[in-house]
Amino acid sequence: MRPLFGLLQMTFRELWAKKIVLGLFIISSLVLLAITFALNLNVVEGSLEGLRLFGQEAETPKDVPEGSPQMSLTSVVVAVEAVVAGAAYWVGILLSLFASSSLFSDLQAPGRIELLLSKPISRVQVVAGHVLGVWLAIGILTLYLMGGTWLIMSIKSGVWHFRFLLSILIVIGMFGVMYAAVMLMGVWTQSTALALIVSYGLIFVSMVLAGAGEIAPLLGTVGEPVFWGLYHVLPNFTEVTGIVTTLAKDGTVNSWYPLTSSLLFGGAVYTGTTYWFVKRDF
Amino acid sequence: MATAAISVSDLSKTYRTGLLGRSTVDALNGVSLEVEKGEIFGLLGPNGAGKTTLVKILLGLVHPTAGTAELFGTSARQPKARERIGFLPENHRFPGFLTAEQTLHLYGQLADVSGDVRQRRVPDLLDHVGLADRSDTKVKTFSKGMLQRLGLAQALLNDPDLLFLDEPTSGVDPVGRRAIRDLVLEMRDSGATVFLNSHLLSEVEKVCSQIAILRNGEVVRHGTIEELTAVERVYDLVTTPISESLLDTTGLEASPKDAPSAPELQVYRAHADNRPALNDILDQLRSADVEIESITPLRRSLEDYFIDVVDEGQPAS
Repeated sequence: MRPLFGLLQMTFRELWAKKIVLGLFIISSLVLLAITFALNLNVVEGSLEGLRLFGQEAETPKDVPEGSPQMSLTSVVVAVEAVVAGAAYWVGILLSLFASSSLFSDLQAPGRIELLLSKPISRVQVVAGHVLGVWLAIGILTLYLMGGTWLIMSIKSGVWHFRFLLSILIVIGMFGVMYAAVMLMGVWTQSTALALIVSYGLIFVSMVLAGAGEIAPLLGTVGEPVFWGLYHVLPNFTEVTGIVTTLAKDGTVNSWYPLTSSLLFGGAVYTGTTYWFVKRDF
Repeated sequence: MATAAISVSDLSKTYRTGLLGRSTVDALNGVSLEVEKGEIFGLLGPNGAGKTTLVKILLGLVHPTAGTAELFGTSARQPKARERIGFLPENHRFPGFLTAEQTLHLYGQLADVSGDVRQRRVPDLLDHVGLADRSDTKVKTFSKGMLQRLGLAQALLNDPDLLFLDEPTSGVDPVGRRAIRDLVLEMRDSGATVFLNSHLLSEVEKVCSQIAILRNGEVVRHGTIEELTAVERVYDLVTTPISESLLDTTGLEASPKDAPSAPELQVYRAHADNRPALNDILDQLRSADVEIESITPLRRSLEDYFIDVVDEGQPAS
């Protein structure tokens, strides 16, 4: 266990030594400070009586027709949490991939991989320690931002919205899925740039795949099954956004398929990457 | 029978290159050798001879195409085989954001060295390699020589029974080189085995008890330096002056070696086909009242020997 822990620690420290991760941490802290001090909720007997943002009173619409939804305490909490969850999902994951994309390629650099593999540690352990280290670092950062937001909003409002916590797991899980692509390209090409291009490319493709219902029927007898094939095989990063925001809004998720198929993609790619890493010569 | 530190049998490695792996390069062709415990073993060969591939197979970095490689009787493919080894690669890279001390703790952890042992050994080793005053300095600011010394400390963290050194004196100044050489000899004295891969033949000649020369992926010579560099049946004799007639009778000739410091002594070269012929020459000298100071079998330098062996493999022009 000691070598595995050492590897985990090395990856963790290497990631935290990167300025972009420090930047993410600072931005997350600023968001949490803003939620703590700049957003004032005036809660009286469980109802929202007033809301001040940066000292300014938030105006409630005066001509709201009777029967239309009013700005409630829950809706404010949900809105703040949904914005943070959406930002953490898109901006957070894109920046985290950028920050971590060089780690696996660097690990395999001549002069470094020799030192590592000459230790009494198996190659499977090397992959496991690396992956766990990256997940742990990004997980802590995500937990800090999203968990902190949830805690602050819950304490301030008294609205404890536990389903939001699931969205934290999904953000970490989807980072893990996209990081699998980074690792595969890392073991194949040792190129950080290519690893980043492919992972971002998959996110771009997922935007197109999100419209599968409308696009696929237009592609003819050959194109349609190919498109659906890609939809089922590749990660559905864009569609999972819907699951994250639904959970953040305390709603009911209609289909978990985009998430499960993405996780299966991640699992398959991690397995393939590990096999390749074990078999290759350095 | 005691298990050898390193045992390699019929080891071959073919690299596949090109987009579809259709081109092949044979790096090793049926290499077999053994390195006994407590030896300092030198692996020599020209560039592209297969030295690096052999070392990498022994360290589990490269998978052999055929044959077996064992460290202390355990297959080199098993992580367990690497429990008792230390390794200093030629161009190693440490994470630059760590200090020297943090680096040693990290690599000690990877080598499964307990925290208690690391607390004791890390300062000792930093002191031993002359980096005690740099323990808190980030590795990215280190010179090549300092990195080499830190690499050596890293290789010694687990108190290895077998130490692999790949060009250990590369980029190191003469003082550091001497320190590394002394350290290698210390390792041998403590009973450890050292496997040295170096182009600096003068260094190899000073410390190695056994060498092997690889050429085109095959072991072409293997033995002690004395055995390999001895020129067969040629001796340098240091004696009192010998008359011209006796020189003619015995077949002795003046040696190109420098004359000894004592003015009454001269150096002669004797060619004797066998031991009786050598003794016959000595008898004739003694009968003529020539006093013999010393008899030394003639040796070539390791560098001359190495170049001859490498040249043997070159196609005739």
